Amino acid sequence: MDTFFLSLAVILCGGVLPLLVHRQFTVMKAGSCVVVAAGCLLGLFPALSVLLQQGVAARVSLPWLHIFTLSFQMDSISAFFLLPIFIISPLAMFYSFHYMEKKEQSFRTAINYFFNAILIVSMALVACADNIPTFALAWEIMSVSSYFLVVHDFQNKETRQAGYLYFIFAQGGAMLLFAAFALIYSYTGDFAFAGFAAIPDSAKLVVFILAFLGFGSKAGIFPLHIWLPYAHPAAPSHISAIMSGVMIKMGIYGIIRIYALLGVPSMVFGQIVLIVGMATGVLGVVCALGNQDVKKLLAYSSVENIGIILIGLGVGMIGVATKTEAMAFFGFAGAFMHVLNHSIFKSLLFMGAGAVLHKAKTRSIDQLGGLMKRMPVTGRTFLVGSLAISGLPPFSGFIGEFLIYYGSFQGIHLQRTAFILSALAIISLAVIGGLATACFTKLVGLAFLGEPRTEKAAQAGEAGLSMKLTMILLALACLLIGVLPEPFVRLAFRGITDLQPAGAYNPAAFIELLRNISKTAAFFIALFLLVSLLRKGLYWRKEVGAGPTWGCGFTRPTVRMQYTGTSYAASMIDFYRPFVPVKTFYTGIRKIFPGQTIYYTEVLDIAENKIHEMIIKPFFHLLQMLRWIQHGNIHLYIAYIVAAIIVMLLLL
Amino acid sequence: MESIVSFCFAILVAPLLSAIILKVKAFIAGRKGPPLLIKYYTLAKLFKKGSVYSTSSSFVFKLGPVVSFCSVVMVLLFFPLAGIKPLLSFHGDVIILLYLMGLGRFFTIIAALDTASPFEGMGAAREAYFSTLAEATLFVILLLFYRLNGSFSFAAFFTGPAAINLWSPTASLLLLVIVALFIVLLTENSRVPVDDPATHLELTMIHEVMILDHSGPDLALIELGASLKLFFYSAFITCLLYPFQLDNGYLNGLIFYALMGLIYVLVGITESIMARYKMDLVPKFILTSFALVFFAAILTMEFVQ
Repeated sequence: MDTFFLSLAVILCGGVLPLLVHRQFTVMKAGSCVVVAAGCLLGLFPALSVLLQQGVAARVSLPWLHIFTLSFQMDSISAFFLLPIFIISPLAMFYSFHYMEKKEQSFRTAINYFFNAILIVSMALVACADNIPTFALAWEIMSVSSYFLVVHDFQNKETRQAGYLYFIFAQGGAMLLFAAFALIYSYTGDFAFAGFAAIPDSAKLVVFILAFLGFGSKAGIFPLHIWLPYAHPAAPSHISAIMSGVMIKMGIYGIIRIYALLGVPSMVFGQIVLIVGMATGVLGVVCALGNQDVKKLLAYSSVENIGIILIGLGVGMIGVATKTEAMAFFGFAGAFMHVLNHSIFKSLLFMGAGAVLHKAKTRSIDQLGGLMKRMPVTGRTFLVGSLAISGLPPFSGFIGEFLIYYGSFQGIHLQRTAFILSALAIISLAVIGGLATACFTKLVGLAFLGEPRTEKAAQAGEAGLSMKLTMILLALACLLIGVLPEPFVRLAFRGITDLQPAGAYNPAAFIELLRNISKTAAFFIALFLLVSLLRKGLYWRKEVGAGPTWGCGFTRPTVRMQYTGTSYAASMIDFYRPFVPVKTFYTGIRKIFPGQTIYYTEVLDIAENKIHEMIIKPFFHLLQMLRWIQHGNIHLYIAYIVAAIIVMLLLL
Repeated sequence: MESIVSFCFAILVAPLLSAIILKVKAFIAGRKGPPLLIKYYTLAKLFKKGSVYSTSSSFVFKLGPVVSFCSVVMVLLFFPLAGIKPLLSFHGDVIILLYLMGLGRFFTIIAALDTASPFEGMGAAREAYFSTLAEATLFVILLLFYRLNGSFSFAAFFTGPAAINLWSPTASLLLLVIVALFIVLLTENSRVPVDDPATHLELTMIHEVMILDHSGPDLALIELGASLKLFFYSAFITCLLYPFQLDNGYLNGLIFYALMGLIYVLVGITESIMARYKMDLVPKFILTSFALVFFAAILTMEFVQ
């Protein structure tokens, strides 16, 4: 644990350093990156050593403010969640070296780096907290520091609104968590996590639901995900990468932790998590498909992937409840694997989107196009990230999804509810997979391929060196995990060892299967190279011409005739219409020689709509009626305070 | 050895089988139709030619045909033809194979979008849409098979004593599966009533419009890949129809290819007597297949313990 705290101290130094030397812009950025990266590397050691040597769970306690004890413990679950924190965060900072280019905003960049370091430290502390005050403290620091990172461009009104929305969801979620903790405390009278299992079963369900909603609002479960599509586009891209790749996983970590601590093998928990996961996954990907803003699309895709992770967790929990060991093991292991994979490819995609935004100055798919030729490295790495996130072999996304499939298939031999739920998990995974393919073919095909739709896109150039290097590294990681999954899956297996009773299963037979997958992937790549070579041979000494695209008889095509994101997704969105309402505005054509007409469509988020309609509006109405309390007379306010104190004294 | 022979034979014979459909359609329409070897002539012609590439396209356009061809070949490598053990097989291979087909589709779609043609974009959107629906059906079939005989690979589905076919006690369920698979076959291979490969208007096409700009050996790879894909789906249905567990391998092969031919004839007849559905009816048609297999899966709750 000493190394762990040392690494956190180093990361903090890396955060404070830019505040001191912000006048030297380049030095500041480079210095901060190096120090933070060193700290993260240092932090990887204790995490890996806990993971690799089974059963080593370090614990540290220190007193704080005379009342509380801060207590930390690193078991295999914490150690596994530390991996994305310590791997993705420094890469994102390295990426920001060329991304944060505005020299005149030197101090603001320094503050961004400072809060970034705080965020990394607080996430690591969340993963290791071992009692209620420690967890609450770390959780709040994490929420607040990420809030400041989101509002980096605070002059922009939309950014401020996004930050506000994020803040409300973060604090609302925290309140639910505190309610859950308070309920536990009322039974145990003790702050330690270890006592959670002692509370009565009826209370456990309430605690779990409260905590699930609280953590879910951070992770982005449906319908509490609505802050994601606002906060991610508003934040700078390396921050989106960290928040989407790493921070929302802390919500997942919280769900796993509370499940492990409560320790009830009840079917209800698994059912809740699985059903919410399926809804989150399918609706997330449909919303992603309907959105034309690159970063918003990626944010919804994060919602979808949280859904996949929750499906894995739900399958695991049902496995525990029905005592199907293999189902429990592979469900949880798949969820863990997908956490790691998603942190890699989602941060890669956000970085790619950042590069596009940086160079083409727009986030709208319908204004991009043809970037593959103008940004070869960004385009190719983005393609790899898209293949990985669609869960296609031989890339990393497939491995996590395969584990979850495998776990779900173990549930097919069960009876009744468990069978139906396993079947639904498989079907929803298949549907999510298909829709994710549609979604990312749209993103790659329309933003990076074809012809540029606007002048801005045509003028775009390649991203800076540090951005390119980071993206190449992450893309290679996607391919590596896809082709050689064994060591990484073993890490995930180790990660769930402390998640009893799921961790007790012996997956020896599965390792054989993994090797076969790895061989299949290698074989496919070999076949691909062979056929490519064959194709080269077929074209040897042959005439290869170039010409315009066949316009089906039309001779004057323009770039604006290309298919747009809206048209690409239209029929699919239509299929899911009750769940994804579409707002359309069309002025129509009136005169014989029509003037300018306007056609506007937007895919709405049903959760956002309903929450606005059913909660916020009535709530506002209520508050409107209570406005007379706020009249501005100070002496009356003082009277309120006195009255409140008297009432309190009388009651307590 | 016999696996290699059967695999190579399948690759060689797939274009011939595809030509059966053309012949049947011609026969029903009262025409003579193209020769049975037409597909080979086309392939030979295309392999000899060079190509013209659109100036809009990038390397992705050239990658598309190769990846989609490789993905189909991979699937056939894992598939037991005529009761013969496939070249490769392991527990769990079905999922990676279905996803490899997804990879092929991913590249076909982005290669189409790479040309910047609105028509190809239209085809790409339809392909993406319909395949998400067909994929759900295929996964329900997988989970049904898993419940029936506890195996997780094509080889284990269709070979060995617990093979799944119409001659087993669960045949009534398989009838539903076969109808559903036939619908998936029509969808995934762009046949009438989902898509009309012979239509003359680009606006109404799905698969054909996506490959408008491909030419020469690239187009040949696509054509061969399409034949193999149709072969795979037909073989899938054929394996459900008959066990192929006779001692005489030649007889097995004979029955296998006879049944395969029958399915191709059936496709030809379907194409002759039906018109292409309106685009918005197609999803409902595909969902029928989903409903059938889902119903079959629900039925297993009662009588498969």
